[in-house]
Parts: sequence; C-alpha cells; structure tokens
Amino acid sequence: MMNLPKTVIEIKDLKKSYGANHVLNGFDMHLVEGENLVIMGKSGSGKSVMIKCLIGLEKPDSGVIMVMEKDISTLEREELDELRTEVGFLFQGSALYDSMTVRENLEFPLRRHTKKFGIIKDTTPLVMEALENVGLTHTLNLMPEELSGGMKRRIALARTLILQPKIILYDEPTTGLDPITAKEIILLMKSIQKKYNTSSIIITHDVDCARAISNKMILLVDGVNYAEGTFEELNTSKDPKIQAFFK
Amino acid sequence: MEKTTSQKIRLGLFVIIGLLIFILAIYFIGDKEKMFGKTNHLKTTFNNVNGLQLGNSVRYSGISVGTVRGIEMINDTSIRVDMIIDKAIFPYIKKDAVATISSDGLVGNMIISIIPGKGNEPSVDPGDEISSNNRIRTEDMMNTLNETNKNAAKLTSNLLKITNEIIEGKGTLGLLLNDTLMSKDLRETMRYLKSTTKKTSETVTKIDQLVTSLDKSDNAIGVIKDPAVANKIKNMVTNLDQSTIELNKVISHLDATILNLKEGKGTINYLSNNPELVQKIDSTMTNINGASFKLNQNMEALKHNFLFRGYFKKQEKEKAKAAKK
Amino acid sequence: MKTILKIIELFKSFLLDIGELSLFAGRFFKEVFKSPSEYREFIRQCFYMGNRSLLLVTVTGFIIGLVFTLQSRPTLQEFGAVSWMPSMVSISIIREIGPIITALICAGRIGSGIGAELGSMRVTEQIDAMEVSGTNPFKYLVVTRILATTFMLPILVFFGDVIALYGSYLVENIKGNVSFLLYFNKVFEALEFGDLIPATIKTLFFGFAIGLVGCFKGYNCKKGTAGVGLAANSAVVFTSMLLFIIDFIAVFVTNIFYHL
Repeated sequence: MMNLPKTVIEIKDLKKSYGANHVLNGFDMHLVEGENLVIMGKSGSGKSVMIKCLIGLEKPDSGVIMVMEKDISTLEREELDELRTEVGFLFQGSALYDSMTVRENLEFPLRRHTKKFGIIKDTTPLVMEALENVGLTHTLNLMPEELSGGMKRRIALARTLILQPKIILYDEPTTGLDPITAKEIILLMKSIQKKYNTSSIIITHDVDCARAISNKMILLVDGVNYAEGTFEELNTSKDPKIQAFFK
Repeated sequence: MEKTTSQKIRLGLFVIIGLLIFILAIYFIGDKEKMFGKTNHLKTTFNNVNGLQLGNSVRYSGISVGTVRGIEMINDTSIRVDMIIDKAIFPYIKKDAVATISSDGLVGNMIISIIPGKGNEPSVDPGDEISSNNRIRTEDMMNTLNETNKNAAKLTSNLLKITNEIIEGKGTLGLLLNDTLMSKDLRETMRYLKSTTKKTSETVTKIDQLVTSLDKSDNAIGVIKDPAVANKIKNMVTNLDQSTIELNKVISHLDATILNLKEGKGTINYLSNNPELVQKIDSTMTNINGASFKLNQNMEALKHNFLFRGYFKKQEKEKAKAAKK
Repeated sequence: MKTILKIIELFKSFLLDIGELSLFAGRFFKEVFKSPSEYREFIRQCFYMGNRSLLLVTVTGFIIGLVFTLQSRPTLQEFGAVSWMPSMVSISIIREIGPIITALICAGRIGSGIGAELGSMRVTEQIDAMEVSGTNPFKYLVVTRILATTFMLPILVFFGDVIALYGSYLVENIKGNVSFLLYFNKVFEALEFGDLIPATIKTLFFGFAIGLVGCFKGYNCKKGTAGVGLAANSAVVFTSMLLFIIDFIAVFVTNIFYHL
C-alpha cells in the first residue's frame, strides 16, 4: 500500500443551529494534503456556516473539528491566531478593508504574525510577491473602491496568500463575477495551488468551477453530507437530488 | 461561554436595577451631605428665621463651615435651628459666639453667620446651643439707609439755602459781602476808622506796652498770655475803637454838617440836617461794626480750627519771610 | 392583550440590549489591558475623530455662546446685573451646556459614524476577515475607538467651551462694550477648579458612552444594508439617552464631592 496522505482537516458530527433553525445536523468530512475539496449545496444549506466553524468564526453546538491535528474548540486565542496563519480564508464579498489602500490591506495580516515571519522591517517584497501572484502590482496604492469586483477578489486572494497558508478556504470564489472573470479566478486558484502546494476547500454552487478544480466533492443537503465522490462520479449519478445540482 | 438570551435579559435587568439603586444611593448620600463623620451638631434658637431653608450654609467669620440641617418650632415664638458644622472649626467657636441670620448678598440665599465671641470663653462642645441675635433685616437696613438719606437731603438743602442767601446777599454775611451801597458806606466808615485809629493808636500803643510789660514780667500775671484773656483785651480794644469811632463819627458828621451849612448844598444839607437819618446811619454803622467784630471772631475761631491752622501758619510764615527780606 | 404582550416584548428586548451592552463593556475592560496595544490605530482614531468633529463643535459652540448670552441678557438687564454675565455664562457653559451639547453633537457625528462604519464592516465580513487574519478585531476596532472617543471628547468639549465663551464675549462686547480683558478676567474669577474638574471627568464618561454604544451597535450589526442604517440610527438614540442618564448621575456625584 502507498503511504496515505496526511489528513489536514477532519470534521466529525458537526451540529449548529440558530434558534429553531437547525443548519448543520451532523456533518462529517475530511481533507487530505494537496486535495481540492469542493462542497456544493443550496443557499442556506449551511456551507458558509460550516466553513466559518472551521476557522473559529462561529462556535458549533457540538462536534469535533480538527485542523492540522488540533482541536480548535480547545485552543486559546493566541494558538488559534497562530493556526489561522496556516489557514487562509477568501471571503465571498472579498472583504477588503475599504478604509485602507491595497498595500495596507495586504500588510494588515502581517502586523500580528511576527511568530511565523519574525519582525518584518520591510513588507514591500512580500506585498509585491503576493500582488504578482494575482497579476495586480499596479494597484498597490489604490483604494478598494477604485477596483472592479474581479480585481477585488484577486486582491483578497493576494491578502490570503501573503501569510503563505497551507490550507485555503474559498467561500464562493466565483459568485457575482462574470464568466470570464470567474474563469480567471479559477485559473489563478489552480496556479496558486500548484505553486504553494496548498490544500483547499471550495464552497460553491458553480458547476464549472467545481468541474475545473475539484479532486473530490461533497454535496451538502439539509445539514448533512448527502453524497461524496469525484465530479465525474456525482455527475453521472442517477439520484435526482444529485442530478439537480448539475442541471 | 456564550450567554443565552435569558441570561442576557437577566443581566440587563440586573444592570438597570443596579443603576437605579446607585442613583438612589448617591441621592441620599448627597442629601445627607456631611454624613462622612467629619461634622458635629450645633443648635441655636431664633424667633424669626426670615426664610432660612434646610441646606443653607453656615458661616463662621465669613468661612463656610456647615449647613442647616433642621428647622423646627419649639414654641409659639422660638424656632430651633440645627446646624452641622465642620469638626475642625469647633475649637474656634467659643461659647459666647452669636448666631445671626443674614442674607448672602441683596438677593442671595439666607445664611447663618456665627459671629465669634470675645475669646476668653471655652470652646463649644458638639450639640451645644449658642445664643442668637435676631438679624437686621434687609428692610430694616433699607429703612435706616432711607433715614440717613433723608437727613443728608435736608442737610444739603440747608446748605444750598445758605449759599444761595450768600449769593443773593441775604443775611448778615451776605449783606456785608454783597451790598455795594453798604460797602461804600463801609469804605466811608473805614476812612473814619483810619482817622480815629490815628487818634486812638496812642491809647492802643499804651495798652500794647502794658501787655508787653505783662509778658515780660511773666510771673503771676503771665496768665494773661492765655488766648481767652488776650481776646478779652482785644475786646476791650475793639470797644474802645468803637466808642472812638462813634465819637469820631459824630465829629465828622458835625464837620460835614458844618461844611454843608457853609456850602449850602441842598441834599447834603438836608441829609445832615435830618437827625433821624443820621441816627439811622449811625445805628447801621453800629450794626456793621458789630458784624465785623463777629467776623473777626469767626476768623479767629477759624485760625484755631485745626483744618485751617496749616493755612494760617503758612501765611504767617510767609509774612515772616517777607519781613526778613 | 396584544399591546401588553408587545410592551413586554419591547421591554424584554430593551433589557436584552442593556445586558448585551454590559457584556460588551465588560469585554472592553477585559481587552483594554491586554497586549498587544493597538497604539497606532488609537492615535489614528483620535486624530480622525477630533478632526471630523472640530468644525462642527466650533460652529455650534460659537452659536450656543452667542445665543445663550443674547437670550439671558434682557433678564439680567432687568436686574441691572449685566456685569454678572461673564460669570453666569462661563459657569453654565463650563459646567453643563458645553459638555452636554458637545457630547450630543459628537454622538450624532462620531457615534453614528462608528455605528455605520463597524456595521458595514460587519456586513461585508471585514470584521471576520480581520479575525481570520489573526488580528483581534475587537481590540483593533472597538477598543481603539472607545479609547479615542473617551480621550478626545474632553478636548473637544474644552475647545467648544472656549469657543462658546468667545461667542458670548462678542455679544457682550458689541452690546455692552465690555473689553476682552475685562470679560475674561471675570470669567476666570468666576471659575474654579471645582467647576472644571467634575465637568471634565463627566466628559470622559460621555466620550466612553459614545464610543461604547457606537461600537456595540456597529459590531453587533444585523446582516444587510438595512442593518447598517439601523446600527447608526440606534447608536445615536441610545447614546443620547445614555448621555442624559450619565449627566443626571454626574450632578448627584458632583454634589456629594462639593459638600465633602
């Protein structure tokens, strides 16, 4: 047998509810190193909640979340922050700080992570490298409002990359973009994955995106993982519920 | 970790109740003011508190030392006022200190001011009662002021009258100063006087000599240096003068009459031959003389008056200087 | 019956608000002493807030001083006590009008600004982004802003007071021919540290309330753009109410200290 790849994220029996609204009812998954996992689901099926639980933005009601072999519910704030440098998060709406320039946006994550990088005297090389990765070096001193939606998304990706994470979580990376820009983003994601050898979880309901990038897919229905498999396996499935996603 | 909604609601309720209790507490603390044990009580009794209220301040020699804590009627005429006073002040308040009610400025609050005692008495003890003085009310003060004002007004009006009379020439002094006719007469009289003086100078010199001799032989009769005695002597001289003048006048009148008779001028003739008129003139002259004498006396009095002493001394000095030259 | 239930529900949500605000304040005090201190952001916020409100405070302060003097002049004139004008105006401005007016203006200006800013940051997930990038957003956004309002408000109030007194002086100068020197001599004669210090302490609390409520409403903003507007709006309303409560308490507390 081959050596099994290392598992970087493992979720067991994750439950989360808001009042009477049960969003997650025992979700399980695991992510191995170098894998691109696509999670698909309807709006409100708990994808975003799941991914936020994963990074500690939301507290699950029950269940275990292991990230890099650490149970995040037991971590102190400092440890959690340290772990978060290894886990990048690309927000749905880019979430650039609009009171700061692009440069400041990119420098912002660096201010607190002196442990990983030491004390950085000059952030310019890191910032430029990150911008080069997304091909937007000329926007260095612009404000976020001067950028288009696609550029914002790319800057946000650059901001995520600047900490050189091992895992990147994408929250609907192509939503709200035109198909061409979406394709660009997908290409970018692929190239980054190759360059830095990251593992990713991609939340989306964009079939093209899923096809282009996924090694493995999970279909999330009513708070549980309804089906698992590669894109091809699921695409050819006879289950009408699964079929509904690919129409 | 995460608080549930009901926990949050309970917390909110707790915070609001806590806040209310806090406000009430500080309100009562504020109300009780000097409740932090640094004060003691002192009592006094008034028969009229003139609108004194709880919380009005108490002053001792002008320093604010406490507040009024209680006002109660103890019988139909007296009101007991309870004050709380800074402990540190107690040693300085003697048993004979007196409390009065006054007002802090004309439109200000009522205050109790404690007027220090004479100082030999022992200090008051906490809870003691000190005597009181029913204060002069503002109205009383106003009344007194009014009275004074009235008097002042009267005084000034009198002064005005006097000065007016002087200007208009009424009264002896005014007459003397202003009447041109009279001054003419006076001049005339002076002329008479001059001539008379010549005649009487001899007598005066003699008296002078007498005085000087008295001065020199300063023993028993040295008392005559006393200004009163000197005045009397002056009187004597003046009287002498007067009589001489009168004599002189008669003589001059006689002269004039004779002259008139000689020249036969109408008016003067008539004048000189009118004995009544002569008599009148004569009496006027007497009056004038009397007046000038009085003036003289006044001047003398003025000289002695301390206000003018300097002035006269200065004049004398200048005279002496001139004489030296 | 329905209205009673509604009232109870309203009261409950009010209590919930208070409870959450208290927790929020508690969190502030827990985090304010924790390192790392966001010193530079604090300075930036101070500068930003002072800068943003200065003109407004200047204009309102000037007008308040002017109008206050104009309005109270006839009454004092009736008593022939116009010479008391400087002392009266200065005491009422320093003790009460200056702090409360400036605080209300800043509640409208800064408080709503914070509410809207943090609200929109919450809605667009910027706060989450900070959290994920290893920065404690509560410390970076909330603590610095609350500290900034707490320390900037006394300065703004002091500035407003001075401007208001100047406005009052102008009226006196034009109407009563009072010289600059005489006016301010009288002002300083009337003022004591006993007037200035409690007023300044009070403004610290005012500033804290403005920052706290603004941040609380913004930080816990509901999703959606309507939530941002609501956050800004309720921040102002809640702050204004809180300001008067603080003022009310401050009067009592000050009285106690005056009598000590």
